[in-house]
Amino acid sequence: MFELLFSYPARIFSKGDIVFLGAAPLWALGIAIGAATAGLGLLIMRRTSMPTVRRATIWTLQSLLAALLLTLLWQPALRVSSLKPQQNVVAVMVDDSHSMTTSEGSSTRLDQARQTLDSGLLQKLSDRFQVRLYRAGSGIERVAKAADLKGQQVATRLGDSLKQAAGEAATLPVGAVVLLSDGADNSGGIDADSLAEVRRLRIPVHTIGFGRERFEKDLELTQVELPARTLNGARLSAQVSFRQNGYANRRARLVARSDGKTIANREVLLKADGRTQTETLLFAAGNPGPRTIEVSVEGLEGEENAKNNSLRRLVTVETNKPRVLYFEGEPRWDYKFIRRAFEEDKSVELVSLLRTTPNKVYRQGVANPTELEDGFPAKAEELLAFQGLIIGGVEASYFTPTQQEAIKMFVDRRGGGVLFLGGRAGLADGGYNASQFTEILPVALPDRKNTFHRDPANTELTPAGRDNLITRLDDSPEKNAEIWKKLPYLANFQELGTPKPGAVVLAEALPTSKGRLPLLVTQNFGRGRVAVLATAGTWRWRMLNDHADTKHATFWQQMLRWLVLDTPSRLSVSTPKTVLSDESQAPLRAELRDKTYLPVSDALVEARMTGPDGITITVPMEPDPLNEGVYNANWTADKPGSYLAEVSARRGDEDLGKDLVNFRREDGVAENFGLEQNRELLEKLSSETGGHYYKPAEINKLIEEITFSEAGITVRETRDLWNMPIVFLLILLLRSAEWFLRRNWGAV
Amino acid sequence: MRVRNWAVAGFVVFMLASIMYAQFGRRGRGDEEDVPIPADANEATEFVFTRLRYPSYRGGSGMWGVRGSWSTDYPSADRHFMQGVRRLTRLHVRSLENVVDLDGDEIFNYPFIYGVEVGHWDLTDAQCKKLREYLLRGGFLMVDDFHGSFEWEVFLASLSRVFPDRPVLDLDSKDHIFHVLYDIDQKVQVPGMVMFYTGRTYEQDGVDPKWAGVVDDKGRVMVGICHNMDLGDSWEHADLPRYPEKYTSLGYRIGINYIIYSMTH
Repeated sequence: MFELLFSYPARIFSKGDIVFLGAAPLWALGIAIGAATAGLGLLIMRRTSMPTVRRATIWTLQSLLAALLLTLLWQPALRVSSLKPQQNVVAVMVDDSHSMTTSEGSSTRLDQARQTLDSGLLQKLSDRFQVRLYRAGSGIERVAKAADLKGQQVATRLGDSLKQAAGEAATLPVGAVVLLSDGADNSGGIDADSLAEVRRLRIPVHTIGFGRERFEKDLELTQVELPARTLNGARLSAQVSFRQNGYANRRARLVARSDGKTIANREVLLKADGRTQTETLLFAAGNPGPRTIEVSVEGLEGEENAKNNSLRRLVTVETNKPRVLYFEGEPRWDYKFIRRAFEEDKSVELVSLLRTTPNKVYRQGVANPTELEDGFPAKAEELLAFQGLIIGGVEASYFTPTQQEAIKMFVDRRGGGVLFLGGRAGLADGGYNASQFTEILPVALPDRKNTFHRDPANTELTPAGRDNLITRLDDSPEKNAEIWKKLPYLANFQELGTPKPGAVVLAEALPTSKGRLPLLVTQNFGRGRVAVLATAGTWRWRMLNDHADTKHATFWQQMLRWLVLDTPSRLSVSTPKTVLSDESQAPLRAELRDKTYLPVSDALVEARMTGPDGITITVPMEPDPLNEGVYNANWTADKPGSYLAEVSARRGDEDLGKDLVNFRREDGVAENFGLEQNRELLEKLSSETGGHYYKPAEINKLIEEITFSEAGITVRETRDLWNMPIVFLLILLLRSAEWFLRRNWGAV
Repeated sequence: MRVRNWAVAGFVVFMLASIMYAQFGRRGRGDEEDVPIPADANEATEFVFTRLRYPSYRGGSGMWGVRGSWSTDYPSADRHFMQGVRRLTRLHVRSLENVVDLDGDEIFNYPFIYGVEVGHWDLTDAQCKKLREYLLRGGFLMVDDFHGSFEWEVFLASLSRVFPDRPVLDLDSKDHIFHVLYDIDQKVQVPGMVMFYTGRTYEQDGVDPKWAGVVDDKGRVMVGICHNMDLGDSWEHADLPRYPEKYTSLGYRIGINYIIYSMTH
């Protein structure tokens, strides 16, 4: 309709400039219009026999007509850049990845693309331009004809392909890019760099989308979030995200397998179609070493694509045991039962100091007879050797200012986890609100004493605590909440005051007399974590439950793993993806600290890379100029299989540490995911570059529009606008309206 | 005439029993009425010294069957001892003792219990089961003041029904229980008040003190057995001038070590 009224497509107007070809200047047009409307006003207003409203209406209609006619006298035109015939190249890129072989009725997407090319698109483009045909996958490759497209590319990286096309544009007059694709990009979209490169060259990318925008019956696993490393014997929590169509309110089974063996499974109720749903799956990490965890959703019949139901992740189960130092200010039952919970846990080593008398400290779990023989570490370095710290039932004044500073440094700089326990000499009653602990505590303690009460209190989880790794006693958040409600009452509790902004309250105490009080509160501080548990009475969960009951031990094991799991070592290496699906680039990042955990930027850091063929290559890691203590390297995993990066750091003769990270490259996986046409991506790509998105049936419009481009070899065209049908229609409408009104008023 | 003879005989028996009771009565009934209630008796504390009340075995020969019970030295030994624990440790202790039995679930609120004269206990099957569960959950039982082979057998008769699968082991001097607070390397027999009547530090045929225990799967002592000694008397008579200080000192150190051990292992 727009083109019918305005002679040209709307997008040409948006690309071109409106100009006036008349000899007289534009300001003269304004004066002429002003004079015409004023003259008409004088003439019409003098006719006093007609009511004022009618005269004003007639004046408006006639003035509009006069303005339109005068504008035409100034010869309006559209000036637009268009590609010079036969002097420009149009790059036709066809997504030749495996996803294009997806069946769409009787043919595949690739068949439809080939048919689109052969049924006129290539011919019509060739009539006006030089056409280059490319297959697009991980990059682009020129092909002679559409029949050469086989759908055998293992991945689609539209960003990389466009970057390559932009590279060719540097030597060729590329006027436009036509991309035929389903938009199923495996790199998670088009990166800003690639888009900026294409935009800089002002090459419009026109996209033609293939494939259904929505499958009728399909479930796709979109993400599985798992930590890259964990502790021996620890339980892992996988956040599994998926989206489905056609199975709303049906039940499916989430399954986790490690090296082929089922390690967890859980039934889930599928929510509304098209919505991303995230569920949690808990399982034991298994024995030390790299473990391949496959998570899948099973139990659905009739899926259109059954290959997108599982994802694999690599988790390294650590062999070393993090050490937790537990300082207890007086003999308490919780001390014993916390130690017992630890003795069941293979993943953490507990060193405890118990102040039995004012001058005696009883040590348990020490590595040698001299370790901590003088009590709590007097030097920061001695404390920083631990990964976690528990402080229970001791006055703040017991610690010297240096020790208090070291505890703060332990969290802030070292990245350790600290747990403060309630007690008659702890927290507010122990003067913590007048100590250096104030800053790191997740609560603003009450400014008074007598906050510790040896009265019973029940416990309840907050919504945040129902699905938290510390407090999870059952996989189901609802059941977990019920379990906590039914736990034996605590022997005592302490008033914590107000949680700080950013702190998370996981559990509350419900004493009979004081309503609800925060019981377990956590927060991140600096590089580390701090928690406060406002009781010393969890031992009743052990003594008041059957001897085979594990709830007390589970809670404390999870609590202590939370303290140490994310505590970095002096040298810690990471890579963003532990499984590279049909991609090869593995960036490595190492963070190096000295004994006091200050960043070290002048060390020699190297990564010994061992690939699936067993060959080891040493790669230097370069200091990051923007981040102190950070070293980076990029590794190209050119073959599928497992890779091991062993990173070591030295400064002169000093060994600063070692760490390792495992990752895998898997091919032929990525193309099974995101099979629905990603129209959003294609539309975004074309609109960001000045192109347009088309359906296969709309290619005639593409031929028309592709001519108008500012890239390549162009010529400025001027197209008259006076002869647009809309002009004549407007003249007719204005005159007809006046005639119709006058006739109604009996003035004709 | 016959009735009168029986009455005289009854009177004689009663008088003899009274004499015997005068010798052993304090052990049998306790002396609660003699000990004032401490002013802070109701203070809520971390630790409460808790005595196990059990049914007594009434077999045996002679006067043995009428002596010995759970309340021996009660409550003065308990209160004296708690004063010592308060003074010598950082443990928050209640001044007033406590008593529990194995018939209800109250025992689970007290992870340390003290059993005295267990050479006279006679637990029912249900009580054995309750005690077993208590110990497996992490409770600790310290037993004391029983002597000789006969009382040992009586003690074992019930204990073997608590733990048919766990032996009684002699505790090595290096065991943590003897070093958790005080290093108790030199252990001697701690006698009861009876030594002043008999002139011997042992009772019956219990010549040698026995430091034994029942341990759990991880080797932690669940039942601390002090056989052929009377720690309770060493606590109770700490302020008695004629009771030797060396026994009181050792008795307190052993008792405190057992409590601290029960709260750390």
